Order: sequence, then structure tokens, then C-alpha cells
Amino acid sequence: MLIDSVWILLALPLAGATINALAGARLGRRATGWIACGAVGLTFVFAVVLFAVLAQRPAEERAVEVTLWRWISVEQLRVDVRLLWDPLSAWMALVVTSVGFLIHVYSAGYMADDARYARYFAFLNGFVFMMLLLVLSSDYILLFVGWEGVGLASYLLIGFWFDRKIAADAGKKAFLLNRIGDFGLLIAIFWLFSLVRTTHFQTLFPQASAIVSQRGAETLNIICLLMLLAATGKSAQIPLYVWLPDAMEGPTPVSALIHAATMVTAGVYMIARSWPLFALSPNALTWVAVIGAATAFLAATIALTQTDLKRILAYSTISQLGYMFLGVGVGAYASGIFHLTTHAFFKALLFLGAGSVMHALHGELDIRRMGGLREKIPTTYRTFLIGAAALAGFPLLSGFFSKDEILWLAWQRSPLLWLVGITTALLTAIYSFRVVFVPFWGDHRGGDAGKKRGKAKQTEAHGDVHESPRVMTTPLIILAVLALFGGLLGLPRLSLIEGWLEPVFHTAEKTHQALEFVFIGLSAVVALTGIYVAYRAYVADTEWPARLRAQFGWLHQLVSNKYYVDEIYTAVIANPLRDLANWFSRVTDGRIIEGLVNGLAAAIGVSGEQVRRAQTGLVGNYALSLLVGAVALVGYFLLR
Amino acid sequence: MTLTIPSVNMTALLPQIIIAGTALVVLMADLVLREKRALGILSFLGVAGALGAVAWLWWLGSVPSFQNMAVADHYALVVNIIILIAAGLGILLSLGYATHVTPHQGTYYALLLLAAAGMMTMGAATDLVTIFLALEILSLSLYILAGFNQADARSGEAALKYFLLGAFASAFFLYGATLVYAALGTTNLLALLTRSFRPDGPLLWVAAGLLIVGFGFKIALVPFQQWTPDVYQGAPTPVTAFMSVGTKAAAFAAFARVMIIFLPGSHSSWTYALAALAVLTMTVGNLAALRQASLKRMLAYSSIAHAGYLLVGFIAVMDGGMQAVFFYLLAYGFMNIGAFAVLVALERAGDGDVDATRARGLAARQPFLAALMALFMLSLAGIPPLAGFFGKLYVFSAAVQAGWAWLVVVGVLNSVISAYYYLGVTVGMYMQEEAAGEPVVVPARGVGLSLALTLAALGTVLLGLWSAPWLQLAARSAVAFMGG
Amino acid sequence: METLLFVVLGAVAVAAAGAVVLSKNAVHSALFLLLNFISLAVFYVVLNAQFLAVAQVIVYAGAIVVLFLFVIMLIGGEAGRLTAPGQSIVPISAAILSLIFLVALAYGIASGALAGVQGPASEDVLAQVGNVQALGQVLYTDYLLPVQLVAVLLLVAMVGAVVLAKRPKT
Repeated sequence: MLIDSVWILLALPLAGATINALAGARLGRRATGWIACGAVGLTFVFAVVLFAVLAQRPAEERAVEVTLWRWISVEQLRVDVRLLWDPLSAWMALVVTSVGFLIHVYSAGYMADDARYARYFAFLNGFVFMMLLLVLSSDYILLFVGWEGVGLASYLLIGFWFDRKIAADAGKKAFLLNRIGDFGLLIAIFWLFSLVRTTHFQTLFPQASAIVSQRGAETLNIICLLMLLAATGKSAQIPLYVWLPDAMEGPTPVSALIHAATMVTAGVYMIARSWPLFALSPNALTWVAVIGAATAFLAATIALTQTDLKRILAYSTISQLGYMFLGVGVGAYASGIFHLTTHAFFKALLFLGAGSVMHALHGELDIRRMGGLREKIPTTYRTFLIGAAALAGFPLLSGFFSKDEILWLAWQRSPLLWLVGITTALLTAIYSFRVVFVPFWGDHRGGDAGKKRGKAKQTEAHGDVHESPRVMTTPLIILAVLALFGGLLGLPRLSLIEGWLEPVFHTAEKTHQALEFVFIGLSAVVALTGIYVAYRAYVADTEWPARLRAQFGWLHQLVSNKYYVDEIYTAVIANPLRDLANWFSRVTDGRIIEGLVNGLAAAIGVSGEQVRRAQTGLVGNYALSLLVGAVALVGYFLLR
Repeated sequence: MTLTIPSVNMTALLPQIIIAGTALVVLMADLVLREKRALGILSFLGVAGALGAVAWLWWLGSVPSFQNMAVADHYALVVNIIILIAAGLGILLSLGYATHVTPHQGTYYALLLLAAAGMMTMGAATDLVTIFLALEILSLSLYILAGFNQADARSGEAALKYFLLGAFASAFFLYGATLVYAALGTTNLLALLTRSFRPDGPLLWVAAGLLIVGFGFKIALVPFQQWTPDVYQGAPTPVTAFMSVGTKAAAFAAFARVMIIFLPGSHSSWTYALAALAVLTMTVGNLAALRQASLKRMLAYSSIAHAGYLLVGFIAVMDGGMQAVFFYLLAYGFMNIGAFAVLVALERAGDGDVDATRARGLAARQPFLAALMALFMLSLAGIPPLAGFFGKLYVFSAAVQAGWAWLVVVGVLNSVISAYYYLGVTVGMYMQEEAAGEPVVVPARGVGLSLALTLAALGTVLLGLWSAPWLQLAARSAVAFMGG
Repeated sequence: METLLFVVLGAVAVAAAGAVVLSKNAVHSALFLLLNFISLAVFYVVLNAQFLAVAQVIVYAGAIVVLFLFVIMLIGGEAGRLTAPGQSIVPISAAILSLIFLVALAYGIASGALAGVQGPASEDVLAQVGNVQALGQVLYTDYLLPVQLVAVLLLVAMVGAVVLAKRPKT
């Protein structure tokens, strides 16, 4: 059967990555680019075909498992390497491959001059492979393989320009914070494994209620919270979100693909996939919603105060991921996935647009030094405008419907959550049009600032500003179309996506009330208000933000410094840990220098006597520690 | 009093006899043969023969026992397999290495084989006297092997330290064994297992404490670990690779056989003591490994940390912990020896150590070697789907089942920390330029080295992707173990 | 009578052992070690283990201590050469810990949880067949494997000694 060849989805990007990694240098740029883009493009086509095959099946048979080989089989324990092709994984595969393909094509233009072109595409293909593995796995262990894999790819790509220390540091930071999250997932997996001796979704989930009845609700609750910890790491939520803004040091297409459209949504996907577990632990689910709402609001306020184009978008991503968490947290899994999808389209579009701006301005990222780009790079401007409008929740665009659905379901859970959500929506509209008005409208104001910073040559010569090549603008246009119409997938009452995902989530028919339309209207008003405020502040009355800043100086200080979270983490966690490691290495290894001295002494032929003397002392120390251990052990045994 | 000649079942120790016999043949052949590499090949053949003997014993069906002093149950055989794999890989690594380290190659291989025989006997031993003697055989061989790199001052230093501290620790072990005899009237573990009593009393607890010190020294548990970095760094690298795995396997096997007689339940006091040791061992090992400039030293600290993970599984000995421990040891054998094999390739003739800076930018010059190193590092860090991950999975889930969830939390936290230094090596190879002024390393080549690297990589991948047969192997051992 | 002998011999053995550690002159240390070994041999005699006593005298007192003395004389171990400088904290803490350790051991042994199984070699049997024969019977029947292992151990020691002695000429 055709559907049994799901593994080809994995094989294609893996082959692309392998070829480019091993032979990239010899193939030349053209071939490299073609191989990489072709691999992902074919994967996309194949995913569409398989999607269609799946859609033709009756709804209750839309979960196909393809066993590749038996992994573990001991006594009652069986784990297979098995892929799952069901509505959710198929949907995710489509999102990943479609956005992934467009970004591959864009990268071919964007990275054209980079010395490590082949390596870049090997990493990028590898990332697509890992991401597909993550969404196609039918098993927590396999999912974890993908989970770690995308983390590794992200780490390698953030630090891609490792000769810049800041990029290497950002990679390290992302890696460390993600490891904290992974720690949660690992423990959750170990725990589940020891409870039910399986990690296979279809076998595990039916036993979830048995876990609750046998071990108590608390056990499952803690497992779910551990998974949530993992999700906050990968999906950049409170408390682990701080790595994402720094991750913008990577190449911009990477930011678009990994740090906006796909990898960061893995946490949302994982929670949605594990919904049978979360459904039985309402406590954990509430935490998901609360963390989501809080992150959405916090990140939106920070986004308002940042001046670096990519960082604004990064905080916006964190904020939107918060919406998705809010969605799955209130049990609206399909809505969460819906927002994930639309967000993938418009955020990828925005990032690629930002990349196009950078391309035009030779790397300039500070929006205060841009302006008037509207005429210079019209395609970029138009597509960027569409993306921003979708992000702002402009009526009838994609972001509007998906966000609205989450807010409506949040209202049903708790009006407080809704209030936070709608406030965030207002902030979102403001900052998303700030990044339209400030760089693209008005007059160019890069000259002075540029001169001061020694970048005069880059931004001053206005004539130098040019539109990006076709290979870059075409993906922009396609993404813009998707951002425009993607919302139709989830039109209220029609709701294609919800029906599609129904066999996975078994969501009861939603209660559609007239009230919902009131809410839709309200959302539209909020979005338009936000856009108007942005217009006033950044176009009509540009002095207004400054006056506000003067009035609420301390608040601005606080927010624009990102609530000092980085500083607090450094002081409370990072520094003590580093000191501890230093201390340990001093204590256990203070003898490196001593050893060197001894070795040197021996080498230059000083009599063995002196060397031996120092060493005898050392052996004495070692023996002493042994004695301490012995006394402690025996003492404990006797006094117990 | 008449003398009754005992009937002796030599088959119980057939693999050990083959290994020891090969050692003797190698010693003799050293006098005759010109081509010293043949000695290594001869040793390797001996190891292969012993593996064949193990296979034969495995299918034999019965459990031969040497007067209840040593048995060849599946438990012992699995230990033998792990040790033989480590020895075989160690010998392959030595083929090119030993030539420029020492002129006494015959003794080198003979001692390596004798150490393996001692380790295997330790895994098969069911009497404290046998365990002690086997322990001494392996220790004495390793003391000498550690000092074999005569050009390097650190090697001799390592041997001396290892010897002095090892003798000290052996004294603890011997005293513990004596007290067991004093308290129970026998040193035979099988007799103790079948006896229906709950041993208790302060004397026995003192004995337990002393025995733990003895085993803890060999396994390198904190605070008995301090010799490890010096010795691992100073010893010839193939020896380090071999001993890091073989000693642990032998000591853990005998440790379990001994501790089970003190075992009123899974949560008696000694498990608490071991849990504390496990926390200390994992934490100190990992934190100290974070800041090592020498890769060999880094791997030494990492081996301490791995001893800690193993101890976590060991504590769950009644809940299938030992089979997890054996699976972990097997996985550790492949990935750790593999990592050392890469170091062998990177060492410059006779300098006996590899600095972290030397691995920088390796991917550009030696893509294959770098890929293998990355594989071993990822596996050591416990990243799926490689062997190391499944080792941790089994060990930790056994511990959770035995009710040691908090210990597992500590363990996982530690493995998260460890990823930092393992991946640091990988990142160094792939994402950094070569250190300026560092002369370009021409990696050592050789059939033995390539073969060892290939086997280790295969093992690391296969144990991860296709762990079923191995796990079955380990499971059989546990059945034999619990059945007495 | 036995108790008196034990107390006197015990005091001598402990004092000799202490003197080995405390003595500043290596030759003196070795001689005190000899004294310690000999008092142990007397213990064995008292415990009816004549063979062990003889072995103790021949092997330890005879061979090993003499070897020690040879080595010390060869490398010239005069007074004051055996103390490591500037590490006073180590010996002191080691002494304290050892003391605690001793107390713990004494407590364990004094708890009286000794099984004390009487083997086949009772005093009467020994009087009949002789010490050496009784020991030999156990060694070459029940403890056959350990004896073999000791043989391997000696082989390792021998090989090792040869390697260590053949240091490179450089």
C-alpha cells in the first residue's frame, strides 16, 4: 500500500543531508542547493499525496501505523520503530514540509555568498528530517529522538556563524535551557515506561486511567507537569523562554523555519499529542493555560519596547506560542494546532521579510535606523504588511480566526484568561504595525545613527537599497497568499481543520452560540484599535511614545530590559552553578599544576626522590578520602 | 580423617582457562617470535576462543560449578562476554600502540589477558575467597599495565598510586570478608543464599561497610575514586579503555553476588548508603568532567559518573536492576572504548594524552574519525537512539520501579549536565577552527585500530537500534542470578 | 595463663606496629615490623596454628623484612627522610579517623554476633594428624580453586616484577 511508504518522508531529507554533508564541498553550490531544495520539495509532494490517501479513508480508520523494525522485545516489553500517520501527524508533516520547502528555496538566495553553504543545507535538511521524525513517531522514545535532534540542529544553526562569539554564546544558551526542558521529558518518559512498560502512544494512552486509579492522580499530574517543563523549554515559554530572542543570531531563514514556524511548536504538538494524559490531569492542563496566557502577555509587552527587528519578531513568536499553549491548555487542541498552522505561515513570512530587509540594508536590524522602505522594496513591503496584518488579527486574515477561536474557548474556561488574551491581542496589533510603520513608512532616518556607529556606508547610500532576487521574493509571495487565506481552514461553523483532527482529539461538538459572533466582533474592534494606536504613535504623532516613556520611565526601563529576567537567571542560577563547577574542579583536580610540575621535574631529570615525596603526600590525601568514606559508611551502618 | 579427592568440574572455568592459557602461550611465543604483532593477534584469537567457550557453556543447559567456588551460570557468562569484548577491543587497540610504548610486548599482552582472566573469574566467583583472589589477580595485572608507558613519567606515577591505594582498599575488602566469616561461619555465597536466615547484627554491618569500600574502590565510587583520573590518564590508552569497562563489569558482578546476602529487602540501610554514594559519584564525576582540558582525563571523570548511573540500577537489584546494569555495561563498553579508540588515533607517538584543543576542527580534516567520535559522545551523553540512551532508560526505569524516583531525578539531571561536556567535544570538532599553532595531527592508522573503531561504532548503534537480543541476554543473566 | 600471654603479646604487637609508623629512621621501622611479625607468629602458635606460625616467620620475618632492609640500605634511608613536608593535617585527621574506625570495629566485634562454627579440625584431630596435614587436606580439596588462583596471582607478580626490573636503559 502506498501509505506504508511513509518512511520515504524521512528518507528523502536524510538522504539530502547525508549527501550534502559528505560530498557538499565537491558538488558545487548549484547542485547543493538543488539537492537540498529538491529533497524537501519531493518530501512535500509526497506528504500531499499521502495526505490525500489518508483523507480518502473513513474517519475512524485514519490512523495508520507503519512498523519499520522491532526495536526491543523482551518478555512483555515491546517497542518498535514505528511511524504514525494520522490526521495530526499528517497535518504537521504538511506544515513542516511546505514551510520548510519555501524556506529552503529562500535560503538558496539568502545564503548564496556564505562560505559554508553545503554545511548550511546539510544542517537544514537534517533539521527537516528530525522534525518529521518528531511528528511522525508513534512512540515517546522515537519522539524524543526527534526532539533531541531538532534541538541539536537548532544549536548548530544558531551558532552557524560561530566565528561571532555572540552567536556561539546564543547557541550554548539555547542548548542549556533546552536541556533543562529535556530533563523533564526524560523523567516523564522513564516514569511512564516504568509504570506501564511501554512508551507507545496507542498502547500507553488507554492505560492512562489505570495509572490514575492505581497510582493516584498525583502521579500522572507530575508526569504531565514534567512534560510541560519540556514543552516550555522547546517552545520558549515561561520560565525557559530566554533563549529564543538570542537565537536570532542565527541566519534569518533559520529563525523563520526553526525558531518561528516549526521547531518551537514542538512543545505545543507534544502536549496536543499527549492529550489523553493531560485530559486526566486537569491541574496540569490549567498550568498549561496559565503559563501560556502569562507568556503571551509578558512577551507582547517586551516586543513593544524592543528596537531590533528580529528580536521584536522573536518576542512576538514567544507571545503567539503562548496563545497556542493557552489553546491546548483550555482543551481546545484543534484550535491550538490551527493557530500553530496559521502562525507558521505568517511568522515565517515576517521573518523572511525581515531577512529581505536585512538583505537590502546590508544587515541593518535596528528599526529606528530604517524608514521609508515602502518604495524601495515594494514586494517585501506588501508581503510583510500582509504578514503583520495576519499577526495583528486583522479581520478575515488567518491570524484573526485562529486567535479568535482560542479566545472564545478561553472565555468558556475562565474570563480572566480571556481578559489576558484580549489585552495581549491589543498589544499584538500595536507592535505588529509598529514594525510596519517604523521601517517602511515615513522618512529614512538611518543616516545619522549609521554614521555614528560607523555604518555610514551601509545605510546612507540610499540608492544602494535594492529588492531581493526572485528566488527570495517568490517564497514571500506564496507565504503571503497562505497567510491571507489560511484562516479559511478554520472558519467558524465550517471548521475544516477541526473536523479533520476530530478522530485524534475526539472533541465533542463545540457549542456555537450567538455570543461567539459578539466575540468575533470584539476581536475585530480590538485589532483595528491596536492598528490605529500604532498609526498614531508611529506615523501621525511620533512624539507620543517619547512622552509616554518620559511619564512611565521606570516601567519602560523595566520592560525594555526584558524584566531583567536574563540578569536574574544569571545571578541566581548560572553564576552559582559555574562557581560550583569551578570549585569541584579545583578540589578534585587542583593537582593538574602539581602534576605538571612533577612531570616537568621528572622530564628534566631531577632525582626521583623529590618527585616521589610530593606524590606520597598526594597518595596520602587520596587514602584519607578513602578512609573518610569507610568511616562514614561503617558509622552510618552502626548508628542507623 | 581420610582424604577424599574432590571431583573437579573444569568446564565451569573453561573460558578463564583458555584466556590464562593463551597468556602463557603468548609469554612463550615472545621468546621465539620475531614479529611481535603476531603476539597481539594470538591474544585476540585467545579471546575469540574464550568467547566460543562462553557460547558453548551458554547452550550447555546445565550450570557447571567448580566446587561451589565458581559457577558458569548465565550471570557469569554475561559478565564474561562483556569483559571479553572489552579485552578484545583493548587488544585490537594495542596492536599499533604497544609497539611504540614498550619493548616487552609479550608481557604486555600476557598481563592484559591475565587481568581479563581475573575479571572473568571474579564474575563467576561464588565464594569470598575466590572473589578476593580474582580481584588481586586483576588488580596486580592492572597496576603493572598502568605503568607500562615507560617513556611517560605519568605512567609510572599512575602505577605507583594505583598500587598503593589498591593495596589499601584490598585490605578493607579482606577485613570485610573476614568479618563475614566471623559472623556467619562461612565465606561461601551460595551456602549463604540457600540458608534460610536473616543475617543481622552490628558485626555484619561493619563487614558490609568494608566490602562496599573494597568494591567501591574498583568501581571508582566517590569518595573512593581519587585514583581514577591519574591512573586513567597515565596508563597506556588501550589499557585505560579495557580497564574502564572490564573492572567495572567484574566488580559490579561480584558486588551484586555479595550484597544480595545482606538483603532483607530492597530498602534496607545499605541501599540508602549506596544511594548516597550514587548521588555523590554522579555529581562529582560530572561536575569535575566539565572543566577538563585533557580528553583522557575528561573520560576518566565521565567514567566515574557512569559508575554512578550503574549504581542507580544496582540499587534496584531486586527489581531487574542487574540486567539493566549489564545492558548498560555492554553499551558503555562499546561507546567508551570507542571514544578511547579515537583518542588512540589522535595521540602523537608516545605522548600518551590528547588535549581538547587537538580535536578542534577535526571534522574538516578527518570527517570519518570526527563522525565516529561524535557518535560515541552522543551515545555517552545518552541521546537516543544510541546505546547509551537505552542503558540509561533501563537503569533508571528499574530504579523508578524499585521506588527510587528521587534518585532517578538526580541521575537524569546529571546526564543533562554531562551532555554539556560530551557535546562540547562534538562542537569543538565541527564548529571550531583548528587551534592556531597546534601542529596538524596525522591520526594513527592500522588494521587493529580501524577494526576496533568499526566494532565499537557498530555496537553503539546496534545496541540502540536493535537492542532486543542484547537485552534478552542480560535478562537471562538476571534469571540465573535470582535463582541462586 | 592464655589471657596473660594474649595481653602481653598484644601489647607488644600494637606497640611495635605504632613504632613502625612513628619511627623516624627507616631501619628502625623495618626492625619494629619484624618484631610485630614475630609476635603475630607467637599468636598463631597459641591458637594451635603451628604451620602458619612457621610460615609467618619464614616468609614475612625472614624474607620480606630482610628484603625491606636491603632496599632501605641500598637507597640509604637515614633518619628524617620519611616525613612528607607540610602535610601535618593529613596524619592528624587520619589518626582521628582511624581511631573512630577502630571503635566502630571493636563495637561490631564486641556485639558478640560471632557464628564461630567449629570445623572438622578440632584440637584432638590436630593432635592426631598434625597441623600441616589438616591444612593441606582443606587446601587441596575444598579450596582447590583458590590455590590455583594463587598460582596465577604469583605468575602475575613474577611477570610484573620482571617487567619492572627491566627498566629502559636510557
